[in-house]
Order: sequence, then structure tokens, then C-alpha cells
Amino acid sequence: MTAPNDQHNETKKDVTFRVFRFNPQVDSKSYFDDYTIPVERGVTVLRSLNYIKEHIDASVSFRAFCQAGICGSCGMRVNGLSKLACTTQVWDVLAKSREKDIIKVEPLRNLPFIKDLIVDMDPLVDKMKQYSNWIDSTMPEASMGKKEFLISEEEFLRYDKATDCILCASCVSECSILRANKEYVSPAVLLKSYRMNVDSRDSIHEKRLAELVKDHGVWDCTHCYRCQETCVKSIPIMDAIHGIREDAIESRGVKDTSGSKHAEAFMSDIEKKGKLVEATLPIRTNGVLWTLQNLLPMAVKMIMKRRTPPPPPLVKSAKGIKIFRGMFREMTEHVKQDHKSHKK
Amino acid sequence: MKPFDVVIVGGGGAGLYAAMEAMKTNPSLNIAVLSKVYPNRSHTSAAQGGANAALANKAKNDTVEMHIFDTIKGGDYLADQDAVEVLCSEAPKIIRELENIGTPWSRMEDNTIAQRPFGGATLPRCCYCSDKTGHTILQTLYEQCLKKGVIFFNEYFALNLSVNGSRSRGLIAMNMKSGKIEAFPARTVIFATGGYAKMYWNRSSNAAGNTGDGQAIAFRAGIPLKDMEFVQFHPTGLRKSGLLITEGARGEGGYLVNKDGERFMARYAKEKMELGPRDLVSRSIETEILEGRGFDSPAGTYIHLDLTHLGAALIKSRLPQIREMSMQFEGVDPIEEPIPIRPTAHYSMGGIDTDNFGRTVMDGIYAAGECGCVSVHGANRLGGNSLLDILVFGRIAGHTAAQEAGKFNPEPIPEAELKEQFDAVRGGMHSSGNYERYGALREELGQTLARNVGIYRESSLLQKGVQEISELKERFKKVRVFDTSDVFNTNLMQVLELKNMLDLAETVAAGAYAREESRGSHTRVDFPVRDDVKWHKHTLATMVNGRVVLGEKPVTMGRYELQERTY
Ligand SMILES: Cc1cc2nc3c(=O)[nH]c(=O)nc-3n(C[C@H](O)[C@H](O)[C@H](O)COP(=O)(O)OP(=O)(O)OC[C@H]3O[C@@H](n4cnc5c(N)ncnc54)[C@H](O)[C@@H]3O)c2cc1C
Ligand code: SF4
Ligand code: SF4
Ligand code: FES
Repeated sequence: MTAPNDQHNETKKDVTFRVFRFNPQVDSKSYFDDYTIPVERGVTVLRSLNYIKEHIDASVSFRAFCQAGICGSCGMRVNGLSKLACTTQVWDVLAKSREKDIIKVEPLRNLPFIKDLIVDMDPLVDKMKQYSNWIDSTMPEASMGKKEFLISEEEFLRYDKATDCILCASCVSECSILRANKEYVSPAVLLKSYRMNVDSRDSIHEKRLAELVKDHGVWDCTHCYRCQETCVKSIPIMDAIHGIREDAIESRGVKDTSGSKHAEAFMSDIEKKGKLVEATLPIRTNGVLWTLQNLLPMAVKMIMKRRTPPPPPLVKSAKGIKIFRGMFREMTEHVKQDHKSHKK
Repeated sequence: MKPFDVVIVGGGGAGLYAAMEAMKTNPSLNIAVLSKVYPNRSHTSAAQGGANAALANKAKNDTVEMHIFDTIKGGDYLADQDAVEVLCSEAPKIIRELENIGTPWSRMEDNTIAQRPFGGATLPRCCYCSDKTGHTILQTLYEQCLKKGVIFFNEYFALNLSVNGSRSRGLIAMNMKSGKIEAFPARTVIFATGGYAKMYWNRSSNAAGNTGDGQAIAFRAGIPLKDMEFVQFHPTGLRKSGLLITEGARGEGGYLVNKDGERFMARYAKEKMELGPRDLVSRSIETEILEGRGFDSPAGTYIHLDLTHLGAALIKSRLPQIREMSMQFEGVDPIEEPIPIRPTAHYSMGGIDTDNFGRTVMDGIYAAGECGCVSVHGANRLGGNSLLDILVFGRIAGHTAAQEAGKFNPEPIPEAELKEQFDAVRGGMHSSGNYERYGALREELGQTLARNVGIYRESSLLQKGVQEISELKERFKKVRVFDTSDVFNTNLMQVLELKNMLDLAETVAAGAYAREESRGSHTRVDFPVRDDVKWHKHTLATMVNGRVVLGEKPVTMGRYELQERTY
């Protein structure tokens, strides 16, 4: 007999899966179906869904393919968080579940619905095209296959982690800006863009960057870190976003529209504090009204979940800030020049 | 719809390379790729190890010739030697080409592409990107296809060829998003739909969709399938899912232990123990299980891969992936407990019979990748040769189809055929009374194959296998499709995949029953040795009036004479 309240020792128990249902052909609005099934320790959320589909209700629709966490098909929200169903252990979810032995399964957010747990991935592919998420090789097609580029370990390491991305769209589903603006570039596409930009074999770095600094691009990100916290492959997405921004300021100066305001805010923050004051950044870039309308509701939620960066007075100057300020001024001298010459 | 010049079915490595090459060969052609999953989800992404090429970056004395010999010997002399020559001599070029367009290969100290040793290879010639080689190759190819503007029909499920005498008019497919049956009139069609090892179901390392759809479609259209009986088993699949635990676990010193706590490999390979060759270790584990020394569980009988003695530090630093997989898929932390494993069906050597240019016997129909059989792997594929196969022959098929498309005049696909397909596909929605459940049939198919057409084969078992498969086919006629909606009907898709697996399972069992010898992955207990007099030949399975008819085809030799295969 299994002892109650001792989850670790239990090897099997009844779990209720509360599954989001919506079939556009017949339903006018969505609803949830409850399925209670016996689950053994070691079983994943995907295996449970497969069991439900095979034994209880074959119409429950979701995507799955590799079942090994590598193809990126099975992204969905499990108890409110976007993740891969095939690598998520039921036992682990239950340990953190607020409602005893109940797991809520919903589709990813920020992508158009198709049916039940299935969303449309096309917008993501379209963005990959918009931001040229490919290498346009410096090698002419006729000479390909004859010799290798020599790539240092150091360069390889710059994009190694980024190439782990399996385009599962979990980060897309959690992105705070995408909720307000579906045209926003998306964290995964920023990551991929960065990966291309730091590859020495690529020849369209400038073109890609020019697209990234436009509206809905890299400057719209609020640094909420949700994408990085969510990433199913633990990829430091924020490094990529910062990388693109630094690159943009360095190589383009602050000549871009909304980006320029953001960039100025960004630079003065760095100079003053040695790190970003995330909380004030959107206000200075987009104006008070926009921030109130778009970000405040989310910020309140984030504070409740303790995710938001601390308000400005709490951000302490980074250590060694003096040396850093000197370096920073030197580094940005040419940027300002560029900015001026552009205004003429 | 305006006819296509080239329709490629499948967006894995083979399909995408074919698309890229076809566009390069003739940019004015109308080319489309159809895939039942988004191309980047294809099973090519699961390949971790790497792809072989005699670049001689690591072993300076490596040559194409040595690669050729290793491949022929590895395939137990059943591979066509001229095809192997194409495979190995194109290898360095294709790996460099991938490098040139952005594949993030791991690097050596001198900044060239890194290489490592792999089973069956004399020298280290396997090119890799950490443990995500297939994934990064697939990403690169997908990116390049987006760049070139290849037209994708994503989440389209290919159903059948429309055949007119000895010619095909094109393809019929179902749009998953709308449920509509659509016609793809085409001058040429390339099948690149991957392998069929998922027919072993829970005893397979493959993705859920590796159901051999392209092979089944070709087979139903009268195109022969070659060497279908050759299925490779990997020794260490996870018990519940069949997912792969890589050889690295044994390489680092893991033990294989039976329920009596015995390191049983001592009985089969005294010296090499756990590090014996793949087929030998698979057979040994299977023997332990068959002779009652495995652990019983509802998910099947298994044995232990024990890493606990290696200690937490080593496991965490050298085998983090394996630890993660054990925890995610079995709920077992290998630092504390042994991992439950058993052999798993991993790769299908057989496939659609093609020549060295990817052509099948039907005009305008081509095949490449795991779906095709040129044959370069013969009776047993070497690790790292499959990624190479899909790239080299994917490219060749793309090139050939693009060049030959002009030879074939397009013909419209009759409306009546679409209607016929529609009715056939949705027939299962109306079954009532004593219906069958697809889940149960699929499970039973996997079990009967593993039991009767598995690692050890024997006349009476195979006969039983053939019999059970034909019973399952009969029961399939009453299978019920519960989901009656048009939009993204995954229930319907799974039923269609099951039909394809059943058709192919019959050819695997029939081939295995006929081949009275042991060669490569095919082990007959009743015919334990290789029989070069009677069986040094390919088997061909063709569908005639709904039945499997077996034929044969000679093996192309020319480079190396038959030798005994010893390691
Ligand atoms: C776990 C694992 C590890 C491996 N490791 C290695 C390794 O290290 N080295 C190596 O060389 N090989 C390895 N292999 C083998 C290798 O990965 C495969 O043989 C190879 O990737 C197959 O590629 P493909 O392009 O032929 O097919 P796939 O990549 O399987 O692609 C098939 C495509 O066809 C499409 N398709 C299928 N049916 C239909 C249909 N009805 N309608 C429309 N589209 C359809 C799918 O959507 C998919 O896009 C491994 C295999 C496995 C299972
Ligand atoms: S950090 Fe930027 S990209 Fe990431 S979730 Fe927040 S807003 Fe989106
Ligand atoms: S960045 Fe991470 S979470 Fe986002 S799509 Fe890629 S793998 Fe998924
Ligand atoms: S099914 Fe492939 S990542 Fe989950």
C-alpha cells in the first residue's frame, strides 16, 4: 500500500489531466475536458496524452514526433508554463502543482490557434525569412565543396549554444512583448539572427542588422528574461539579444528611430549604473502612455511573481564602475560622432 | 493546379538536399517539398553521432578507399560496390559543402572540421557537431531552402501516387490543416520519407512518424522494395520508449547486468565484454531475456545498464545527456539506480529499389535517404554512414529529377481519383459494431514483429509472424477513426500510418522468412552462417494483385571479393 502524502514512495496514482479543447469546425468557444488516468512514476506528460488519445478520447489533438526532446513538436503549456510535453515528468509537475493531482494542459500562446493543443507555426517561419535567418556564404557557389573555412574554437563557441534551438516556440509563447504586439520579431528569431551575425562565413550581417533595428525588432524587447527562463534547451537568449544591441550601437550608431531613443536610454543607463535599469527603459523609449497601456498590467503580474527587475533606486552601481565608465566613454565616442554626422 | 516539375515528399536531410540541388540545377523549375511535419522536425534531427567522410583531418592517412572497404565489409558484402564508391568519394565534398553554407561542425585544434572514431571504421572519420549533428545539418539545410525560396507544403500527408500504366501523373495528399485531399500533378516525384523501423513500435528508437509511408506508397504503385528484411537493432534502448542510450554509456564503463546480478557479457564476449560490436551485444541481451534472466515489468522484460559504480562526478561531467534522458523518460537517476534497457529497432537498411541516380523502375519516380535502397549499407549500416547516404543520394536524386523533368509530359490527376482517396481515407470513420482500435493493433504489430521478426529469427517464428501480420491486416479493415473532424485530424493520420506499417511489415517478414542464411543484421537461428552460394543477392518485394511477391537482384561487385566478416 502506498502511504498518503508521500509522493516520492508512490509508484502509481490517478492523475487528472485538464485539457484545453477547441475545434474551430464545431465549437464556438473553448472549454476544458478532464481525463483521469493511472500514471506510473517515470511517465511523461506526452505519454499520458498518448494514453488518453489511445484509450479514452481519440479526438484530443496535439503534435508529437521524436518523443525525445529534439524535434520541437510538442511545445504546450503545462500548469501554465510553456515546455515540451515529451521531456516533462508528470511526477515533477505534480510536486509543484497547486491543485492536488491535477495537471492543466493548454496550447502555446502568441501563435494562431488551429485545434486543441495545436497552434500555427507559420508566423515563426515567416519571421525567420524576414530576418534572413540563414548564412549567406561569402564563398561563391561555384567553389563550394572544395575547401573548408578555418573556424577557431573561440568562434564556434560563440554560436554553439544558439544552435541548440529546436524552434519549439516555448519562448515565443512566454514572451511579454509578443502578447501586446504579434509583429514583434520573437526571442527565437533574435537568437537565430544573432547566431548568423557572429558567424564569419556570413556576408549579410549588415542587411540583417538593418532589419533587426527597425520597428518590432530588437529594441522592442523589454528584458523581462521570460524567454530565457523558459527555454527548454537552457539557451542564454538574453546574451544574444544584448549581443545584437551592442552590435547595433557599435556598427550603426544611434541613428534608428525608436531604437535610437532606446539606445540613448540604454547607454546612459550603462554609463551611470554599469548595468541596465530595466524598469525605466520602456518608458523612456515608448513614452509613458504606451508603457501604461501595454506593459503595466504585465508588470503588475510580474511583480507578483517576483520576476520584474527591481525599481531604479535599488539597482546598485556595478563594481569597478569608474574604470568601466572610462572605457565606455571611449568606446562610444565614435558612436556619437556617427550620430551627429547622421543628423546633418 | 499547374503541374510541378519536381515534387519532393519529405523534408528530412534527403528531401531538403534534393530540393536545394534541384533548384541549383535548374532555377526556372517549379519545385515543391511536401512534408507531414515541419521540415525541421524530421527525424534527421535525432542523429547525434555524426557523418563519415575521409577528410583526413584527424587521421592523416585516411583515404576514400579505406572508407569504401569499411562500408562494404560492414554491410557483410551485400552492398552494391559501385554505389558505395559514389557514397564515399562524394563524402568529403558534401561535408565541406555543408560547412561552406553554415553547418556548425565541431573543430580540431588546427581549426579544421573535427572527426572522431565510430563503430566499424578503421580510422576516426566521423564528422560531428557535439552530440547534435543531425539537428544542425537539418537546420542548415532548412535555412538554405528558406533562403532559396523553396515552396513548402508543410503538414501535408502524402497518400498515393496517381498511376497511369507505367507512368505516374503525380501525387495525392491530404492537407492536415483543412483535411482536404489535394492533387499534385507532377512530372517527377522524389520520395524521401525516411525509415520504417517504427513498425516495431515501443521497441524502436525512431520518431512516431517513421512509418515508411513513401515505401508503402511506392509499393502499392507496383514499385519494388529491396532488402526489406534488414533492420538494425541497437543494444541499449530505454525500456518504456525504446529511445536510444548511446554507446558512450558503455564506453565510459557501464555494466550490463541481468536479474541474477550477473555481468552476463562475460559469457558472450569474454574480452570485450560490454564493448563488443552492436549486433553481438544486442543478441546477447536478447538471449538473456529469452532465457528468463531479465526483469519483468508491465512495459516488458528488460535488463540493467548499471552506471552507479562510476560515481556522481563522472556521470555528471561525461554522461549528462544520458542522465537527463534516463530521468526524463524512465524517471530513473543513473547515479542512484541502474537504467532499464533492452535492444531497440533503430534503422531500416531496406527501402525503395533505386539505381545510383535515385531512379526507380517507374518513369519520373525517384527515391533517396533511408526511404530508398541504392544499396550502400547492404546487410548492416555503419554508424555515421546514414547521414552521409541521405546527403549524397538526396543531392543526386534532386539533380537527376531536375534534369529529367523535361522528358515527362504532365497529365492531370482525374477528379474521380481524389474522390476515391477521400472515401478510402475516411472509410474508417463509419465503422461501427465490432470495430478495432488502432492503438491496440499498432501495439500488437510491434510485439509480433519484436517476437517473431526480431533479433533472432527462425522458420516457425517467421511463419507465425507472417500469419499474425496478415491477421492484423484483416482486423485493420474494421479499424475505427473516432475523430470525424476535418481540421488537423491526428487520429486519422495515425490510422493511415498504421496501414502503411502493416503493408511493409508483410514484406519484412516475407523477406526474412525467405532468406535462409545469417548475414549482417539478419540472424537465422536455423541457418546460422552466411550462404554466399544461395543468398549473395538482394531480395525484391513487389505487390502483385494485393500480394507480396518476392524476386531477386544480383549484387554489384567489382572492388572487393567476398571475405569472412570478422572484427
Ligand atoms: C536515434 C537515432 C540516432 C541516429 N544517429 C545517426 C548518426 O549518428 N549517424 C548517422 O549517419 N545516422 C544516424 N541515424 C540515422 C539517420 O538519422 C537517418 O537514417 C536519417 O536521418 C534519415 O533521413 P531522411 O532524410 O531519409 O528521413 P527523415 O529525416 O526521417 O525525414 C523524413 C521526412 O519525410 C516526411 N514524411 C514521411 N512520411 C510522409 C508522408 N506520408 N507525407 C509527407 N511527408 C512525409 C517527414 O515529414 C520527414 O520530413 C540515427 C537514427 C536514429 C533513430
Ligand atoms: S526578454 Fe525580450 S524577447 Fe525575451 S521574453 Fe522578454 S520581451 Fe520577449
Ligand atoms: S530558444 Fe529555446 S524555447 Fe525558444 S524555440 Fe529555441 S529551444 Fe525553444
Ligand atoms: S516530441 Fe519531439 S520534442 Fe517532444
